[in-house]
Amino acid sequence: MAMVESKSVIYRKLAAHAFLWFFLALIIFPLLMVIAISFRTGNFAVGDIIPSNPTLDHWRLALGMSIIDEAGRTIPPPFPVLLWLWNSVKVAVISAILIVALSTTCAYAFARLRFSGRSLLLKAMLIFQMFPAVLALVAYYALFSRITEYFPPLGLNTHPGLIFAYLGGIALHVWTIKGYFETIDKSLEESAMLDGASPWQAFRLILLPLSVPILAVVFILAFITAITEYPVASILLQDEAKLTLAVGSQYYLNPQEYKWGDFAAAAVMSGLPITLVFLLAQRWLVGGLTAGGVKG
Amino acid sequence: MADVKIDHLVKNYNPGVARDVLRDINLDIKEGEFVVFVGPSGCGKSTLLRAIAGLDDITSGDLYIGGKRMNDVPPVNRGVGMVFQSYALYPHMTVRENLAFGLKIKKVDKAIAKERVAQASAMLGLDSFLERKPKALSGGQRQRVAIGRALVQHPDVFLLDEPLSNLDAALRVKTRIELARMHQERGSTTIYVTHDQVEAMTLANKIVVLSPLTDDGAASNLEQFGPPLDLYHAPANRFVAGFIGSPKMNFLGGMIEEAGAQRTRIKLDTGVSLTASVDSSRGRAGDKVEVGIRPEHTVLLDDPRADNRITGTVQVAEHLGAETFVYLEVGGKDFTVKVRPETPAVPQSQFDIGVPADACYLFDAKGQAFPRTARFNRT
Repeated sequence: MAMVESKSVIYRKLAAHAFLWFFLALIIFPLLMVIAISFRTGNFAVGDIIPSNPTLDHWRLALGMSIIDEAGRTIPPPFPVLLWLWNSVKVAVISAILIVALSTTCAYAFARLRFSGRSLLLKAMLIFQMFPAVLALVAYYALFSRITEYFPPLGLNTHPGLIFAYLGGIALHVWTIKGYFETIDKSLEESAMLDGASPWQAFRLILLPLSVPILAVVFILAFITAITEYPVASILLQDEAKLTLAVGSQYYLNPQEYKWGDFAAAAVMSGLPITLVFLLAQRWLVGGLTAGGVKG
Repeated sequence: MADVKIDHLVKNYNPGVARDVLRDINLDIKEGEFVVFVGPSGCGKSTLLRAIAGLDDITSGDLYIGGKRMNDVPPVNRGVGMVFQSYALYPHMTVRENLAFGLKIKKVDKAIAKERVAQASAMLGLDSFLERKPKALSGGQRQRVAIGRALVQHPDVFLLDEPLSNLDAALRVKTRIELARMHQERGSTTIYVTHDQVEAMTLANKIVVLSPLTDDGAASNLEQFGPPLDLYHAPANRFVAGFIGSPKMNFLGGMIEEAGAQRTRIKLDTGVSLTASVDSSRGRAGDKVEVGIRPEHTVLLDDPRADNRITGTVQVAEHLGAETFVYLEVGGKDFTVKVRPETPAVPQSQFDIGVPADACYLFDAKGQAFPRTARFNRT
């Protein structure tokens, strides 16, 4: 039921709407620009939003097809963009799954078990996470080059190595999930234990099914972080065939030649898996899972 | 079915740092008894229940269920079923799955599990809700599911932690009667926690009164353990006397004027003298005491049993139809009396009421009761 509003409130609402539309346009504009550039003939950063003579050349190159230029020469795709995309998705999916698994179990310990040093550890984790990963780049490189000496499959220039590095960034997720666990009444698990469940069963059969929404959120966040991450991936990965899209697409931009058009096509493509994951995960983002379990 | 024996139980969540929650608790709960733990908040009644269930460990002392020492036995192997105050239903499972969860975990034979669920659901009238999720149930229905979930386990000891506190008043009375009936039918040992002394009085075979521990070095916070009417007529101390009974017992300060084995003369702080049917032979004239008088144990002045007279000023009168409560001020203390419905009581006017000697309780300076030599009933 709509509440009766005075005139001034209606004007304020209109003003708020106008402001929001303006703000929305401001956010969407860069995205539209990138899409426009990817369809624009030539590699120009500036130009009309709606290209005057659109071309699919940049997209052909990005999708691994050769094109024929004005001079009639066949130009093969310069970089394996699809392979990069696959690398990105692979690294992001695996690290997101592992991050969810690690941070969930870790959060369970922090939320439900009592052990000495618990609050110190929690705070320390958060504080360490506050330093940007860039600061530790040298350390990352040194560590992984040492790992390479002993166990190459997890060392430099490998995807498992990169995933391993990404697993370090779970502190925030642990906090998020811990906060959610703490909203779930402890008596649910106690009840399960009285029913004969082991701690693992209580966790697996009672707590986890109720935590699906927050796990979906953490999965999405971890996925986005991994797929857009640049600094760590750029120093750990070296072979062109192993690069992620975020790192690889920089190859289009070098001081001699800024291939804005090709870059834009690759950039738009890197947004696709994120959108896809978000759409898929959305159905898990439901509220009210715990409704009715404890007194209302 | 099993008996429960608690021997010198102590519970402290942080020994050496925090104060004990439970101290030196000794209880002998016989097979088939309905025992209610009652006390104000913070008295440890829920903690004691959780200790019996195995959800909280015991700091020292022993717990026996069915003659077996249970201190280190995990909850599932203690043969207890518990209903939580919050119900703690599994929100993502249907009523049927909720009921069957424990049986499934324990890998009970499917046919037997199905039969037990059907039995419990028929008994509690849950048949038409079996496929619903808890959120689609009303408070009373959720409560029944919680009871059913404990029942299907066929527990030796049935534990209930304030099961009625989330229900509205009408449903509470109805469920209380159902619980009493269920206990009569099944006869299983039941331990029930509540802060509501009416629930305690109506349901229990025996009541355990617990008090919150303070820093005064009390030896135990188990105040009294006994049948409801014993607690009502012969409370062990001032705490139990004040806790059992509604409205609460009135207390007036005074001192012993004349001690005796059958009758005691007491001089109240207000200057009035009073005769009480109390054995005060262990006390002496001049000892400080407190007289306890229940609101429902007062009589009209013209009643032959009106041995003593109390005079006060009317503060408020509550006319409930079937009875009237008059709230008096007697010598600066509140004093409640229950009188006949039509009794007039004008605020700020003087009000006289008779108190039979048989209706008086007497407590020494430490709050311990002197033995009464008579029990009083108004009718």
